[in-house]
Amino acid sequence: MKVPFRGFSAILYKEFLVVFRDPLTLFFMFVPPLIQLVAFGYALDTDVKHIATLVFDEDRTRESRELIDQFVNTQTFRVVGEVRSIAELADAIRRGQAYVGLQIPPGFARDLQAGRTARIQVLIDGSNSSIASSSLNTALNVGFRQAMLQLAARTGGRELPVEVRPQILYNPEMRSPNFFVPGVIGLVLQIATMFAAAMSLVRERERGTLEQLMVSPLSRWGLMLGKLTPYLCISMLMAVGLIGIMQWVFNVPIAGDFSALLVATLLYVFALLSLGLLISTRAQNQIQALQMCMIFILPSVFFSGFIFPRETMPWIFYALGAVLPATYYIELQRAIVLRGASLGDFWLNIVVLAGMGLALFSLCALQFKRRIA
Amino acid sequence: MIECEGLTKRFGHFTAVDHVSFKVAKGSIFGFLGPNGSGKSTVIRLLCGLLEPSDGQARIAGLEVARELEQIKGLIGYMSQKFSLYDELTAHENLSFYGRLYGLRGAALKQRYDQLVALTHIEPYLERRAGLLSGGWRQRLAMACSLMHHPTVLFLDEPTAGIDPVARRELWDLLFEFSSAGMTLFVTTHYMDEAERCSHVGYIHTSKLVVCGEPDELKQLPLVNPNDSRRIDVTCDHVTVGLQALRRLPGVRAATVFGQSMHLLVDKALAEEVIRAELAKAGIPRADVRPMAASLEDVFVALTAGRNGGAK
Repeated sequence: MKVPFRGFSAILYKEFLVVFRDPLTLFFMFVPPLIQLVAFGYALDTDVKHIATLVFDEDRTRESRELIDQFVNTQTFRVVGEVRSIAELADAIRRGQAYVGLQIPPGFARDLQAGRTARIQVLIDGSNSSIASSSLNTALNVGFRQAMLQLAARTGGRELPVEVRPQILYNPEMRSPNFFVPGVIGLVLQIATMFAAAMSLVRERERGTLEQLMVSPLSRWGLMLGKLTPYLCISMLMAVGLIGIMQWVFNVPIAGDFSALLVATLLYVFALLSLGLLISTRAQNQIQALQMCMIFILPSVFFSGFIFPRETMPWIFYALGAVLPATYYIELQRAIVLRGASLGDFWLNIVVLAGMGLALFSLCALQFKRRIA
Repeated sequence: MIECEGLTKRFGHFTAVDHVSFKVAKGSIFGFLGPNGSGKSTVIRLLCGLLEPSDGQARIAGLEVARELEQIKGLIGYMSQKFSLYDELTAHENLSFYGRLYGLRGAALKQRYDQLVALTHIEPYLERRAGLLSGGWRQRLAMACSLMHHPTVLFLDEPTAGIDPVARRELWDLLFEFSSAGMTLFVTTHYMDEAERCSHVGYIHTSKLVVCGEPDELKQLPLVNPNDSRRIDVTCDHVTVGLQALRRLPGVRAATVFGQSMHLLVDKALAEEVIRAELAKAGIPRADVRPMAASLEDVFVALTAGRNGGAK
C-alpha cells in the first residue's frame, strides 16, 4: 500500500504553525524584500539627465551664448560653472566636479558669420560609460542640428529638410522604474523564497527533527509538498504586496491582465521554492544552504536580462541565463505589465516556468535521501 | 523481536559497527551500553533504517530492515539523542503533529492523545511551548510523541542524558510500565545503575559487541571472576592512601576507588585480616572489609581489560 503524499496534511499543519509562530522568519521573508524593492526601484535609474557641465567660453558673443543654451535645452546638460583656462577645465573633470567640459574658442561667431567651419570642443569624462555615451550623442546632435540650420538659412530655408519624429511605445516617458521595478520584483521574490524554503528543511536537519520524520511513514513527496505549500501562500501574498508597491509607489501602471500576472508569479515562485528545497536536500547546515542559494542569486542579477539585455551577451552567459527561472519570469512580467501582453503571447515562458517547477520539485523529492548516509 | 546478524557499518575507512549480532526477545528491556563513540547510536540508526548496513542484516518482528522498511516504520518508535520536538510548537501541538504524521485522525487521535497525556502526567504543560520545558518534561513529551502510533518496539537513544535523578527514575518507571504491557524496549545509556535495571544488556566497545546477556548471567562469567579470585569491598577513611597501600599488597589483582570505598579483586587465599593489617600499617586503623558480588561495571571493566590485553 503506497500513498504518494502520505503525511502531507500533518506536515502542512505543522509548517503553518511553525511559520506563524516564528516572527523572525516572517519578518525576514517580508521586510527585506519590501525595502529592497523600494531601494532598488529608486536607485536603478539609467535616465541620464542634467549632467554636470563646465563652460569655457572664450568667444563671449551672442552666438556662443545661444550655443550654450542649445546644449542646456536638451536637458542632458546642466551648467555648473565657468572656467578661465583649458587646464582648469581638465582639472575640474579629473577631480569629478563635472563630467563634461564645453570649450568655445575665440572667433566662433566670426567664423560662423563668415561661412567658415566654426569649431567647438567637448571634453567628456569616459569613466562612466553611460554618461559618456549620452553626452557624446547629445553633443553631436546639437552640433549637427546647428550646422543644418545654418546651411538651411543660407539657401533661404527656415525648416530642416528631414525631421525624425520618434514615438516611444509602452513607456512613452522612458521612465526607468517601468523597466526596472518589474525586474526587481522578480529578484527580491527569488531571494526571499529560495532562502525561506532552503532554511526550513535544513533547520530540521540541524535540530534533529528530520531524523524523527524519516523514521515515520511520511513519504518524501508528502514532506516536500507540505513544506512548500505554506511558503507558496506567503510568497503569493508578498508578490501581491510588491505589485501593489509597483503600481502605487512607483506609478507603474499594469497594462495587462492582473490574473495573468498572478499565474506567472505562482509558477515562478513554485519553481524557486522547489529550487530552495532542492538545495536543502544537499546542504548539511544553514551556512551551506546560504552559500548554495547565493550561487543562483548573483547570476540572476546579471544574466537574466534584469539590467543588461541578454541578446548582447557572449553565448555562454546567454546560455546561463536560459536556465534561470528569473529570466523567463522577468521577461513575462515586463510583457504583461508594460506591453499588456496575454499569457498566450508568451506561452513558451509559461511552459518553461511550469516545466522547471515540476522538474525541480520532482528532483528534490527523488533526491531526498530517507537515510542519513 | 529484534535480531542482528553480523551487522556492520563502515564510514569510509572507519568501521563504526563491526559484525554485531544479538537478539532481543519481545517484552524485554535491552540496555545497550558502551563508552562515547563506541557505536551505540549507529546501531540504533541501523535498526531504525536511518542508515543502511554495509554488511550483515537486522530484522524487526521478522521483517528485514533494509528491504521492508515501510512495513517496519509503523511498528517502531524512535526517541533520538537530542530529541526532536518542535520548540515553537506547544506540547499539545507536538503530540497532535506526531499523531497525524502516523495517520491518526479524529477520535483515534484524541483517544491516544488522552491516554498518553494521562500516562506521562504532562497535562499541566500542554499549552507550553516545547522549547520552554525543562529537561525532564521534554523527555516525557518526546516519549509520548514517539508512542503516539502504538509502536511495538521503542528505541531510546540516551533518554536520560542530562536530566535530573528524580526525572530519571520516573522515566524508568514509565519504561517498566511499557515493558510490562508487552512493548520491547531498546535503550542506550552509560549509567550503570540503569543497566542493572534492564532485563538484558549488551556492551559495545570500539565498534564490537563485547558481551550480551542477562545481568546476573554476566556477573557469573569466568572472565569476570577469574579462577581463585574473589571481590572485596573496603570502606574506610582516606581511601586514596589505602588504595596505594593495597595495590602494593601481594595477592591484590586490581583495586579501584568507588566513592567512600574501594573495590578489590583479590586471590581467594588472601584473608580479610591481612587487608585490615595492611591498612593499619598505612595509618588507617578502622576499615570495614566485606566480600561482595561483581557489579555490571566490574563485568564491563573486566571484559574491556581482557580485550585490550588480548590486543597487546
